Amino acid sequence: MMTMKMLENKLQKTDRKQAVLYLFCNFVSLLLITAYSAMMFSPTVLLALPEGGDSRKQMIAIFVLALFGCVVFTVYASGLFFRKKAKQLGILMALGASRKRLAPGLFREVLTLSGASSLLGIAAGFPFVFLLWNGFSLFLVDSEQMTLKLDFKCLYLSAAFFVIVVAFSCLTACRYLKRTNIMDVVHEEHKNEPVKEPGRWCGAIGILLVLAGAVCGYSAPSVYMKLFSAYPSALINLFYAPVFAGLYMIMLHTVVHGWRSHQKHPYKNIISRSMMKFQGKQTVNNLLVSTVLIAGSAFALFYIPMLSVGQTMEIKARPFDYSYHYRMDQTVPKQEDITALAAKYDLSIKDYRSCSYLMLAMDGTIEIEDEGNTFHYEHADLVQEAKFLSESDFYRLTGKRISVNKGTYYAISNDEETGTYYLNTGASFLTNMTTRTTLPVSFAGFAHYSFLYDTVGYYILNDEDYKAISNGLTPDWQGTVAFFNISGKDSYAFAEDFFHTLVSSFGPECEFPNYYDRVAKIAANEAGKIYWGDTDVMTHISFDNPDTSDFRAYWTYMPKIRILDRNDFSRTFAVFLMMFLFISIICALAAMIISYTRCMTITLNNRYVFDDLKRLGASPSFLKKEVKSQAEIVFKIPSVIGMSAMYFLYSMIMFANDGKLVSGEIGGLAACLGILVLYAVIIYLVFRCSVRKMCLQLTIE
Amino acid sequence: MLYVKNLHKSYQSGGKSCPVLKGIDLTVANQEFVAVMGPSGSGKSTLLNCISCYIPFEEGCITLGGQELKNLNEDALAKIRNEKLGFVFQDFMLLDGLNVRENILVPRIIQGEVSEEAGKLADSLLSLFGIEHIKDKYPADISGGERQRTAVARSLINKPLLILADEPTGNLDSKSSRAVIESFENAREQLGAAIFMVTHDSFAASFCDRVILLKDGCVYNTLKKEEKQSAFQDRLLTAIKEMSSADARTGR
Repeated sequence: MMTMKMLENKLQKTDRKQAVLYLFCNFVSLLLITAYSAMMFSPTVLLALPEGGDSRKQMIAIFVLALFGCVVFTVYASGLFFRKKAKQLGILMALGASRKRLAPGLFREVLTLSGASSLLGIAAGFPFVFLLWNGFSLFLVDSEQMTLKLDFKCLYLSAAFFVIVVAFSCLTACRYLKRTNIMDVVHEEHKNEPVKEPGRWCGAIGILLVLAGAVCGYSAPSVYMKLFSAYPSALINLFYAPVFAGLYMIMLHTVVHGWRSHQKHPYKNIISRSMMKFQGKQTVNNLLVSTVLIAGSAFALFYIPMLSVGQTMEIKARPFDYSYHYRMDQTVPKQEDITALAAKYDLSIKDYRSCSYLMLAMDGTIEIEDEGNTFHYEHADLVQEAKFLSESDFYRLTGKRISVNKGTYYAISNDEETGTYYLNTGASFLTNMTTRTTLPVSFAGFAHYSFLYDTVGYYILNDEDYKAISNGLTPDWQGTVAFFNISGKDSYAFAEDFFHTLVSSFGPECEFPNYYDRVAKIAANEAGKIYWGDTDVMTHISFDNPDTSDFRAYWTYMPKIRILDRNDFSRTFAVFLMMFLFISIICALAAMIISYTRCMTITLNNRYVFDDLKRLGASPSFLKKEVKSQAEIVFKIPSVIGMSAMYFLYSMIMFANDGKLVSGEIGGLAACLGILVLYAVIIYLVFRCSVRKMCLQLTIE
Repeated sequence: MLYVKNLHKSYQSGGKSCPVLKGIDLTVANQEFVAVMGPSGSGKSTLLNCISCYIPFEEGCITLGGQELKNLNEDALAKIRNEKLGFVFQDFMLLDGLNVRENILVPRIIQGEVSEEAGKLADSLLSLFGIEHIKDKYPADISGGERQRTAVARSLINKPLLILADEPTGNLDSKSSRAVIESFENAREQLGAAIFMVTHDSFAASFCDRVILLKDGCVYNTLKKEEKQSAFQDRLLTAIKEMSSADARTGR
């Protein structure tokens, strides 16, 4: 004979569809979180994305968004499961089952479902990472650095999320069991969740809030630093909060009013509008989460074209195939050595030109950190090292004539004068670091030659000044810069050989990155302090790994080699590119699954509406149109808003960098637009699949 | 057997309190078949839900079989719902995953393991209500009338003192309605149950011993059946008409 346990087992079988949806939601959430955290804690990624760097911060920020999305998603899934379960619970309660009688079975079911789905999700997260990453390696780009290493510390995050999922499921179960109004429990499934109808101003205010939040959030740190001479804490990011409030209001407006005027045709789409409105609360939440995830995904996706297009355009625009520079105390290949090396590859070099430069110290204002996160500015005589050319050498090297007055200097910038913040335009004297003689100077302006634009800047001095200040300067403070072209088609093998030959010719005294400043080090040591570059804070580079992204991006004597830079771009930045592609895929998957699940929920909740419409004689095409309009809001609104908001934000960031958009940025933004179109096509395909599935569920032919 | 005294219940809507039951007094005797009628919004279903302890009420008292219900804890209330009350709902409230026989046995399963005696009782209820042939079928595979008769059989499996029925014929055609009413009569005669039924259907109500007319949360009138069923139905209709005319006179 039947027992309570057998009865519950039978009822669970009836709820299979709902349970599968719940399992699926938890499984996907845990899979995504585990995969993301596995990547985030992976030594492969951590090594490539330096601590405190923008890329690492972006990775963490998007993780927080994804985590938020997944938490909302699992909470939603659990709510959905219990809404369907409520009728069963209510009937059993009505027939005299006490809480104590129902609790064991209900908790057993909930714990099994949430626990099993979460554990499966965690377990599947690792193969998912492995497949995706190795898929990237196989089909897109492969490099030594891309060898995937995992740190199982990431399981702490998965475990925390697992606890959230299981605890929330149990709390929801408790909430249902504790309800005293049994009729409410029975009718829970058909309960509408209308939103409070806001005025039509809601959408416009929402857009304004999004814009205001983006501007406030972006400018708040610099305003704070100017006002308080202190570094802001992470809480400063709360200035972005209006963006989320604005997004919520836009979603609310979309669900309640829509964006078309209904004054002319008040009855047009009245059914779909009212259906949407009466499921409003959950729909608005879902739309918001999907929007945030799509925005996060677009942000991660933009990283790739923005980095590659600018780089590709810069490489293409170089006037020479090769450029290298070295200190005079180093024995590096000269013109004849390079010619001989090229001959081994049946190549000849042409247009070889070189000139010497001086490495002088510049004075300026520096930011001094105080205790308690504040700072102040101080003038210092020895601020930074810089490379100085004479005006005639600049002409010999570039063919550009520039007249520099005595006692002045020019800073060499790229043609568009972007990134000039690396250049010191406020120096009042230069110091010869060997003799400590000084030369009073003032800034005269920018000279343009993109090929000489460097993080450790190049400057131009008057020939007489150049001669005067160079007196007594030892070879370790002098250098040579050389350019040359390859006659005919260049060879990658030669370029690689040249690069490795060059690197191996440098001594260990040159084994440091471009942010290691010898002048700053001397100044710090003379003040009795340890230079920060000599501590563990600084990322070190090594001649043993000249092909790593760190070495190629930061070595202070890194040559510019067109064929190498072009061919190795994806390899050099492989981990960066793949990590951001990975993040983008994770966020996009989460957003699409949330939207798909919402569509299925709309189908389940509104089945009776569609049945009634059928009885009232609605044609299949009419019903299909109604289904489509429901799914359209779920897919279209987050896509349009998420993508356009992120595109706007990215453009704003690009513009705010230096007050203009340069050709590389415009090219990058154009490529981003193309990628968004592709992304939209993928979302459209998922939308079509969802509509087909909804029609199947509602038996609409 | 059932005593309801000065029962008050109100709902909260938009921060306002809307009284639905305004001091109801009524009784139901053993084996009595009582109907409650009234216009929509008069509080019929709310009254039934309060008696069932499905929804909490603010004031008044309900006594069933000598036991005051208001101060009982959840477990005791559940026991009463399971053992002393039987329920029949307008939309049947059968469990989709169980077949007809299993649905009938649900209140027994809730009590504990189902004994052989309970199985025999379920079989006899199946035959009493003429649904033996569909005992292995699932709710989705049977007609509305058959579902409701299954629900009536389920309400009787624990031999309750009182069956509470909320619009049991509301979703049924006349033939099925008749079958359900006959089920109630059978239950009363053969199993000794009292029945308290909320209905809009004057035909169904005309089979009852007594009909309570409810209006705006108060008992408007009580009619006792002293004539034949069809004549009683006529009297009921007249009383309902009178109640509506009173509304018209007061301009409501």
